[in-house]
Amino acid sequence: MTNKYYEFFCPVKVIAGKAALEHIPFELTGLAAKRPMIITDKGVRAAGLLETVIAACEDSGLEIVTIYDDVPPDSSTTVVSTIAEVYNKEKCDSIIAIGGGSAIDTGKAVNILVSEGGTDLSRFSGAGILKRPLKPFFVIPTTAGTGSEVTSVAVISDEKKGVKLPFTSSFLLPNAAIIDPRMTLTLPPHITAATAMDAMTHAIEAFTCLAKNPLSDAYATSAIKKISQNLLTVMNNPKDEHGRLELAQASAMAGIAFSNSMVGLVHALGHATGAICHLPHGLCMSLYLPYVLEFNLESIREPLSELLLYLEGPEVYSATPASRRAEASISAIRKLRDALHKHCELPRTLKETGKVLETQLEAIARQALDDGCMMFNPREVTFDHAIGVLRRAWS
Amino acid sequence: MPVKRIQPMKLQARRHYVELMFQVMGRALQALSEVDETTREEMRALPEGFLFELQVMPNGPTLVIEHTGAGKMRFHGNRPPRKVDLSIQFKHMAHAFLVLSFQEKTSVAFANDRLLVDGDISYAIRITRVLNRLEAFILPKVVARRAVKEYPADLRLPEKLMSAMRIYLRVATHSVETARA
Repeated sequence: MTNKYYEFFCPVKVIAGKAALEHIPFELTGLAAKRPMIITDKGVRAAGLLETVIAACEDSGLEIVTIYDDVPPDSSTTVVSTIAEVYNKEKCDSIIAIGGGSAIDTGKAVNILVSEGGTDLSRFSGAGILKRPLKPFFVIPTTAGTGSEVTSVAVISDEKKGVKLPFTSSFLLPNAAIIDPRMTLTLPPHITAATAMDAMTHAIEAFTCLAKNPLSDAYATSAIKKISQNLLTVMNNPKDEHGRLELAQASAMAGIAFSNSMVGLVHALGHATGAICHLPHGLCMSLYLPYVLEFNLESIREPLSELLLYLEGPEVYSATPASRRAEASISAIRKLRDALHKHCELPRTLKETGKVLETQLEAIARQALDDGCMMFNPREVTFDHAIGVLRRAWS
Repeated sequence: MPVKRIQPMKLQARRHYVELMFQVMGRALQALSEVDETTREEMRALPEGFLFELQVMPNGPTLVIEHTGAGKMRFHGNRPPRKVDLSIQFKHMAHAFLVLSFQEKTSVAFANDRLLVDGDISYAIRITRVLNRLEAFILPKVVARRAVKEYPADLRLPEKLMSAMRIYLRVATHSVETARA
């Protein structure tokens, strides 16, 4: 009898494609919401993306009651409390978060406070604390990488205590994720590259780590195929709406995959590097992915071999001997990484980032060992293993 | 009729087995921290007085351990002396049995959503490493391979046998002392 078991959950309505933003008024009405608040950041406003959303809503007679556009890159409990006050003062009844990971996480946290009441966000930190549905919440991602629009997690800094508060609950999931190619058209090349590699890593780790399951596999492989086929096309032609939509969809699919099957050593190392050296998350993913796959190789040979089909297409897959497909998959990822370096100088090694010191590698390795993602890595990782991977990624 | 009688007996036996394994593991963890420097090194990262429990939901068998400082652990039986800092909970007795009868590795149980963590996840990861080390020491290699993600390549037979002997001896001594008390 098999011991296999898995769980899969994603109730987020995905609204994707041409004129997707124009569906927001109808969808909000369906949830009896009439007074939405927009939560976003200065970058989104500066890029002119807000106007598109506002126009789409006002065309249907839906008034955006208030806009908070000052979410910092690393959002805090103070910011969340401030936004919640504005929400209550303006008598809003729903939230639309527009932006990348920080704006979306802030939207999730604000939704906790305005739905549950009170001002102390830390009361709700942890897993499964929330017990009932929150206010209507829509997410419009403006980067194609984090997958936050389909995940049930938010991380907010508690400035006073100097810690990061994690929140995990299925009630944090948005009611809808609106994926519109207009929202990622202006993304700069290096962010397009790094966030796409973030999504690629979500999908590859989802497909190769311990909690992989048939449903997350389906999302992961589709995401990998879309990224492989469209990333370089978009890098060559940033205004390619079709390619942008494919990348945004891939990001959501990878998000659905990894939130149901978790991630492993690449993320553990990435989290530690981000905390110690303040390196952007997507860049960390791009840096570590090939080296971690090499480290895990003998434990993941079978699924990694399968991925060659989605990374390089059927011709390369069929022309490659079965025994060499796993190595060929890693080569394909290296090739993509090198091409991105050529396009926008996305660093290929830790040394190239100029932000990491060789003396910090030990601290990164130690911190990574205690990361929650480590549990799902297919191989046991010791300090020596972690430092070995870091040294290979160094230069 | 006999089937109806056998079923509760089977469930009872499973419960007793899990309770017994928790008792053995609790004492063995205490002993491990006395004989193994690597374990003490892992435990030193936890605050002194840190209490954690392994529990079967809801209100099932429980194993409570305290970090008493310098990497040493103390087994508190099944009742915490105060609110625990970290709780790792099996969702059901059947899930605990799968892990404790070595049909499912601890890491796979986490991946299969059989376990809930209430508390700092990084401490839970550290404690899982200690549990893995304990299993690698006290179980025959063929069984340990079923329990841990990867059997430690650097664990040689003489070290394993010596450590296992010292751990089992301390578990026996501790059990006798508890019985006398």
